[in-house]
Amino acid sequence: MLEYAGSQHAGRRTDREEGLAIVGVLRSLDWVLLAGIAGLVAVGLWAVSGVTRFAVVGNPSYYLDRQMVYVAVGGAALVVGTFIDPDIYRRYWKPIFGATVLLIAFVFVVGHAARGSTRWISLGFFTFQPSEFGKLAFVLALAGFLADRTRDVGALGTTMRVLGLGAIPVLLVFAQPDLGTALVYLAALVAMLFVGGAPWRQLVALGSIALLLAVGVLWAGPAVGVNFLKGYQQSRLTCFVHPSHCSSADTRYNLEQSIVAVGAGQVRGRGVNNATQTRLQFLPEHGTDFVFASYSEQRGFIGASLLLALYLLVLWRALRIVSIARDFYSAIVAGGIVVALLFQIFVNVGMTMGIAPITGIPLPFVSVGGSSMIANLAAMGVLLAIYARGRASRRRR
Amino acid sequence: MPPSKGVAEPYRPSARVLRRVSVLGVAMLVIFAVLLLRLWALQVLSGTKYVNQAAANSFRTVRVQAPRGQILDRNGVPLVTNAPATSILLWPADLPKVYTTRYAELRALSRLTSVPLYEIAAGIRARRAGNDLVTPVTVREAAGEPMIAYLYENAAQFPGVTTWRTFIRHYPYHSLAAQVLGYVGEISPAELAGLAKQGYQPGDEIGQSGVESSYDSYLRGVAGSARMHIDAFGRPRSGLTTTTIAKPGNDVRLTIDLKLQQAAEKALQYGIHLAQANGKWAARGGAIVALDPNDGSILAMASAPTYDPSVYAGHVTLGELARAGLTPKTAPAKNIPSLNRAVSGLYPPGSTFKPVTALAAMQEHLLSPYAYLPCTGTYSSPQDRSHRTFHNWDPNVNQAMDLPTALAYSCDTYFYRVGNEFYNLPSDRGQPIQKLADAFGFGQSTGVDIGPEATGLVPTIGWRQQHFTSAVDKLWKPGDSIELAVGQGDLLVTPLQMARLYAALANGGKLVTPHVLDDVESPNGARVPVAAIPAPRQVGIDPAALQAVQKGLWDATHLSFGTSYAVFGKFPVSIAGKTGTAQKVVSLPGYLGLQNQSWWCGYGPYNSPKLVVCALIENGGYGGDAAAPAAAKVFAAYFHVAFHILGPIHSD
Repeated sequence: MLEYAGSQHAGRRTDREEGLAIVGVLRSLDWVLLAGIAGLVAVGLWAVSGVTRFAVVGNPSYYLDRQMVYVAVGGAALVVGTFIDPDIYRRYWKPIFGATVLLIAFVFVVGHAARGSTRWISLGFFTFQPSEFGKLAFVLALAGFLADRTRDVGALGTTMRVLGLGAIPVLLVFAQPDLGTALVYLAALVAMLFVGGAPWRQLVALGSIALLLAVGVLWAGPAVGVNFLKGYQQSRLTCFVHPSHCSSADTRYNLEQSIVAVGAGQVRGRGVNNATQTRLQFLPEHGTDFVFASYSEQRGFIGASLLLALYLLVLWRALRIVSIARDFYSAIVAGGIVVALLFQIFVNVGMTMGIAPITGIPLPFVSVGGSSMIANLAAMGVLLAIYARGRASRRRR
Repeated sequence: MPPSKGVAEPYRPSARVLRRVSVLGVAMLVIFAVLLLRLWALQVLSGTKYVNQAAANSFRTVRVQAPRGQILDRNGVPLVTNAPATSILLWPADLPKVYTTRYAELRALSRLTSVPLYEIAAGIRARRAGNDLVTPVTVREAAGEPMIAYLYENAAQFPGVTTWRTFIRHYPYHSLAAQVLGYVGEISPAELAGLAKQGYQPGDEIGQSGVESSYDSYLRGVAGSARMHIDAFGRPRSGLTTTTIAKPGNDVRLTIDLKLQQAAEKALQYGIHLAQANGKWAARGGAIVALDPNDGSILAMASAPTYDPSVYAGHVTLGELARAGLTPKTAPAKNIPSLNRAVSGLYPPGSTFKPVTALAAMQEHLLSPYAYLPCTGTYSSPQDRSHRTFHNWDPNVNQAMDLPTALAYSCDTYFYRVGNEFYNLPSDRGQPIQKLADAFGFGQSTGVDIGPEATGLVPTIGWRQQHFTSAVDKLWKPGDSIELAVGQGDLLVTPLQMARLYAALANGGKLVTPHVLDDVESPNGARVPVAAIPAPRQVGIDPAALQAVQKGLWDATHLSFGTSYAVFGKFPVSIAGKTGTAQKVVSLPGYLGLQNQSWWCGYGPYNSPKLVVCALIENGGYGGDAAAPAAAKVFAAYFHVAFHILGPIHSD
């Protein structure tokens, strides 16, 4: 088929779709995914209501109230995202990429630090974490880059180029320092290459390089006295393997308290009042990084497995979207979002139970924090949009 | 609109992409399976373990001291009880984190409680050093009402300061029997090292002396426990919930009789005043022991000077202790009030020891009770190469006396002669005085149940050999036997040992174990089994010899030439007893010299003895002057009779 004709076809379809926008999107919405997201958000709010009840003396719902505002804003972002044609992101991937890199870089100029890391920009009423929004923007932009080279995806040059491009935000985030989020970016990028059809040998090579890097940075480097990571980062990444040999007392303490908190929840949970690990602050960061441990302590195996089930439902439906997507761009965007989400969930939940390295990654839809909640809901909006348009185009064909 | 390349081609996911989606799906399932399994392992399989760990994290168990048992007299009158008190506690973890505000708070607290700031700071440092943020520092035990009220009203200014209801020792009779009862104090690290196995823990109160110490195991009860929530920073987050109720201590009933004890203490003061009235300026202390000669139970035990143990109850300050003469620095000036002279004071017994010499001489057939020996003004031993002259207390006497008369008149030269007889004994017949003194319990602990007890000294030939270095001193000389015969020289005894001797003289030669414990009663009144007091044991005295000595003791109080006739001659109850005037080298602040220790020991009624009294007035002069009237006061109180002294006596 001639490329030109294709273009005309595309133009026509776009015209038609714009007329269909509201009704068409609503007709072909992934209601199961939407219900899953709603369930996740509800469980997340429930978790926050318990986890933060004693965080602010005299105001048990301080964090819950704020979190509900974020959910409202994020819900709006989801709705807006659902109705925006993802093709627009593809067309404007360069400005999106540029703006993202600028915003992340901007953190170094005006950002404010918390817990040893500069990730936030204060807007007065809200501290804004560009790297959280950056996850979505990163996927949208780099997918655009790949979509521009649809035919060359799989070529070594393309892969090298997209890696080079992606390295800019990844390194910026890594320098904040926010190793966890940088890894999420990388996971999303690899996922896009994977879904986009990069040959296995490239993926295997990438994986081998990553493995070599990890071994070099974490074990070989320190063994010969070269430290790429800060001490605490190093111990956080390696301590979970042998908690009792952990060199950092803080990390070891966090890990042990987290495991105790999860385990103490038993089947039914200890309830908000009796969850002493949380209530008496033995568990650090129990509203953010270690929210899963705190939630598990309060709600037990029943509550924790309910949350995991909802995650699985959402991820499952989201993964399906990759094969339903209307076009290549949408497909790899969906793949990137799904894997980024999966990666965050695994690393966060896994670290609270001692089977994944400790990183500062928030738990999607649950951790207290506006940037994460809004960005994740917006990403869900993009997924819903991809699904709806994919469905609509199938129906037409 | 620019051509959009991505949409340009009708997109159908290739089989390859679909395959990859399924790979991702499988990976996803595996990841979730791993998470769920781990969750299940932690929460379902080992949940109990982690619940326990979480509990250990957040609960701290605090010891709740048991109310200490009371100490009662033989009629059940409480001598030591507990009084409710409020202590002020400080939780170091709750103090302000900013140095200046913390300092300001501690300063204010120090002023309010009048506890020096350095003491509070030392308490906090001790907790910090032990890494113990959950045990509060007791700033002040027994805080006054105004302090407590001020703290309540200004609680906001004193974060980390709380009050706590406790009990402190209460002494309704103040200084009464202070050295017998003893006091309690916080266990010292040294004590703890030896007692940790018996359940003592840091911060426990423990009896420091007297009955409080001897019967601490009965009195202390069993500490309970309470627990409270603490947070990750060790700050208490809840009140105390009792988990084990403290078991109050048992009451200890003593053989001490409150009325007689009071009388004995008054009598002791009376004796000291008499001595001082006689110009005995150094008479500032003494002891009186009153015991039942049949079983050794002590009815009264007085020691002067004394102190009020309340200084150890509640808030103890060094200043108060110093004023009471209870610190090493101030004790000598106050003549060591904490010393229980009845059991730990060592004195030569003087003539009160003569019955032992007499009994030993009769047993060795050196003396026949009714044969006469000369009583002269002076005596020197023909065997003594130094030709030392020993003087009688009365230089103007020259008459032959039998044993009872010699005892009654307390003839020294009579006993010097007997003593010389002992010196002349062939060595295969041993040292009979020392042997008998040993049998009467001298030179050893009496086994009394309050300590620490001094054992005293019975000088022997072997002791001289060991104790001295020069050849002359190592040698046992006639003078040693002569002085021993009259209870002088190196012989040292405690008033309690003397009381025990006179109990044996009174009860027909049975040596009793003196004791203050009657029984132990649990808070609900049930008797608690205690180790039995050893039964009196026969010393093995010839009854005829004993009878002669008893007659001598009776004569001493009833015949006109008897040394305490003036006191006991017209006493309504028949009392027998012996005076003693023992020379002792005394070292007082600013004085070193010989002082007469005033003794009187005896018993009554003569025919069926019920009470032995032994009185000692330190540096009190003649036994008849100070000790005998003091002892008579005790008998008067015991038999509920009045007496009057017949006239001045200046006798041995």
